Amino acid sequence: MTTSFTLAGTQTTPAISADWERGLLQLSGDSYPENSFDFFTSTLDWVESYLKQEDRPLRLELRLVYMNTSSVKVMMDIFDLLEEAHGKGRDVGVDWFFDSRNERVELLAEEFREDCTFPFRISAET
Amino acid sequence: MLDIDFLDLRELLHSHRILLCFNGPISRSLIEEIGLALKNYLDAEHAHPGAAMDVFGAYVEMTQNIRHYAIRKRYGETESAATILVAIDEEGGYLIQAGNVIEAEDAPLLLERIARLATMDSSELKRAYKEQLRRPVTPGASSGAGLGLIDIARKARRPLCATQRPLGGGKTFFSLRAIL
Repeated sequence: MTTSFTLAGTQTTPAISADWERGLLQLSGDSYPENSFDFFTSTLDWVESYLKQEDRPLRLELRLVYMNTSSVKVMMDIFDLLEEAHGKGRDVGVDWFFDSRNERVELLAEEFREDCTFPFRISAET
Repeated sequence: MLDIDFLDLRELLHSHRILLCFNGPISRSLIEEIGLALKNYLDAEHAHPGAAMDVFGAYVEMTQNIRHYAIRKRYGETESAATILVAIDEEGGYLIQAGNVIEAEDAPLLLERIARLATMDSSELKRAYKEQLRRPVTPGASSGAGLGLIDIARKARRPLCATQRPLGGGKTFFSLRAIL
């Protein structure tokens, strides 16, 4: 898969935009599908393919709010791919934006960041 | 003929400050719909966004655990029923309780696991959560990452409480209560 794709968000799944040309993956909204592993397969595959086939930077722009634990698990897998790429000297980074009224999202993002050494910015949006 | 005094029922629900209760077969879409109702209730109650998200999160983890268990055990519709209750507790927090029929042989391990979580402080729970996050997923398992119970325990303001009541025929009714 060397293409871009977009997925509209639903009540239980985030909106996803994967832009191959710009090297940008955006996810926003709530994420609590019953089977997160199935839902995120195409996104995981996209990140893996991009990192394998391109040597350009990859940036993740996240506006995720509530995540169930299986979504958290898959997100950790995506960050692990970035971490591995970062270890090989690749330019990768995450920007996580959260609503300043909901500090739980900030804590969630911070816990992810604890396990990452690549640039991981967490910023409040009002 | 079934004759329930509806005013009694209404007053019972009121006196226990029950926001929402459900009993019956639970599907994925029903979990979503009840979840939406719960979100609206919390909104109407002016719950703090973070607190509302914790209550909603505990609801999602409990009900998805029940669904995953029923799917794993290939339960039919009546066996994959759930009893769910959300109420305001005496201290103004939220009480979430969910129960389902499970195999009696699965109960001891589950109760032991919850009892162990109940003894852990927040840093121990965080460590357990991160360890579980790093554990490989069992291939072919429809279940999540096994993180749900730890996640609920981390959000809860008091230790989790689980009970079982044997039903005979190798089944038991399991229920889990969290105060958030």
